[in-house]
Amino acid sequence: MVLPQSGLPIGTLATWKGRSGRSGLHLSRAADVLVGMTKSSHRKPPRQLRPPVTPVVELTGSSALDELVGLAAGHTPNARPVIDAIVVEGLTKTYPDGTEAVRGISLRVAAGECFGILGPNGAGKSTTVGMLGTLIKPTGGRAGVAGFDVVAEPVEVRRRIGFAMQQAGVDEFATASELVILQGRLQGLAKRDATTRARLLLRAMEIEQVADTRLAALSGGTKRRVDLAASLVHLPPVLFLDEPTEGLDPRSRTGIWDMLDRLRRDLGVTVVVSTHYMDEGDRLCDRIAIIDRGTVVVEGAPRALKAEVGSDATLEDVYLHYTGRALEPTPVAA
Amino acid sequence: MNTPAQALLLARRALIQFPRNPILLGFSVVPVLIMYVVFGGLFEGVAELPGFPADNYFEYLAPTAILLATVPGIGNAGVALAADFQNGYFQKLLTAPVSVGAVMLGRLLGDCVRLAVIAALVLVLAVALGAHVETGIPGALLMIAMGTSLGIVTFGALSANLAVRTRDAAAVQAVQPMAFLLIFLTSAYQTTAQIDSPVLRTIIDLNPAERVLRPMRELMLTGYDWGEIAVGFLAIAGLGLVVLPLTVRNYRSVYG
Repeated sequence: MVLPQSGLPIGTLATWKGRSGRSGLHLSRAADVLVGMTKSSHRKPPRQLRPPVTPVVELTGSSALDELVGLAAGHTPNARPVIDAIVVEGLTKTYPDGTEAVRGISLRVAAGECFGILGPNGAGKSTTVGMLGTLIKPTGGRAGVAGFDVVAEPVEVRRRIGFAMQQAGVDEFATASELVILQGRLQGLAKRDATTRARLLLRAMEIEQVADTRLAALSGGTKRRVDLAASLVHLPPVLFLDEPTEGLDPRSRTGIWDMLDRLRRDLGVTVVVSTHYMDEGDRLCDRIAIIDRGTVVVEGAPRALKAEVGSDATLEDVYLHYTGRALEPTPVAA
Repeated sequence: MNTPAQALLLARRALIQFPRNPILLGFSVVPVLIMYVVFGGLFEGVAELPGFPADNYFEYLAPTAILLATVPGIGNAGVALAADFQNGYFQKLLTAPVSVGAVMLGRLLGDCVRLAVIAALVLVLAVALGAHVETGIPGALLMIAMGTSLGIVTFGALSANLAVRTRDAAAVQAVQPMAFLLIFLTSAYQTTAQIDSPVLRTIIDLNPAERVLRPMRELMLTGYDWGEIAVGFLAIAGLGLVVLPLTVRNYRSVYG
């Protein structure tokens, strides 16, 4: 199999070494090993692993996640990363009107890592994440997610990703529970599995009380949580979050951050966050890439990047240092 | 999960929505029934003209009323798709391994079920007004199938394409009168023999909706004319073969 646009065989990606010097395996094979999920087992989980039909009651958010981890048996969510979950090389997007939204971005994200794509509005973050999530077709370069090429194998990529978009894409007429179940069914889950997972995820998100409430009646923060639950219903190894706390009040932001911490810790999900909130990148991410005008200007661990700029430096200072321009302040909703 | 299964899941989603939107439901049923009663009453005398194929004008008008329900009514599918584009849910669906065709088809199928129910109500009203369906329930079901199919390949396709192109529910809504034009340029209210203008008669003969309306009327008034029925379905299939690839192409040109 050959990666489009590069002419390189997919196995070529596997020869790349991670930052720690780990050699990759053949990505498509290794990704399955990594998540303990072969294609066939993803579609049809072993019978003995199916969840009970009766609703689980009296669970806290944490125990709901434990229950989800149990459902994900067959995955190895706490396994240490052995390859890069995301490999991007020279990714480019030029729109028909000539706008170069992304200009040759290259990066790698290790499995289990939280990676932040930071930059101001219009920097190319959403376009980058959109290409990785197969929603936007690149015009150049290549990208592999969970071992599959985003252009040549978009369906395989979609089976392995969750995607919570900047604008929480929800059906206002559906209830929270219906929305999550439908997303699970479209991911190939049996109705019983999707229903159980929806219940557990809404409980884990601490919004079980609105499970039967129509989304039109919910607040923005709650819709985000429902959207996040829908993104996780098939327990994907990779989760993309595009501006996950845009427009939310500080309390809701903190709630989302705590939830993401728990998801990573308990489910071992690789998380890619695009945000223009520097504090969000600082709080959540193991590593970040700062993007400006469609290119990566610097990449590294937030602490290391700040240390390079100054002892009391913030990520805003890092942005100023590498771009020569101050980041325009973006107020957080009160 | 294959595309038809996905489309059925998404059609079910649409069907769940309808009762939650009583305004949509009400305004897609009541005006059609009112138009049927009003037009039937206004033109009742036409049935007394020599050579008119029905004694009861409501019988003649019933297939037209079905098309008045199904063709403009399917536009709601386009409006709903545009709303999904606007609020980001269309893209959300595409983050699952779902084809664009399944999303659009699912919406159209859901609306078809709704419109089939409305078309059935039209026929129930027709019977209540003294009309008689010559081919009985099988013929009635065939009429409904032809009407909803025509809706999909004409205004359904147009509204879905507009939704893709504009992402604007208001813009899709704005073209709804075009659907009435398609129906009015048929023998909807009187036979072509009663129309004086040869130009208008030619336009009516060329209108694919006329090819569907005629066998529907035969089913209502005289019986099964399989030749006319075949022509009707061929017209629907022909339109489908044109509009479906165009829709896919349109989507790809916008979203690549």
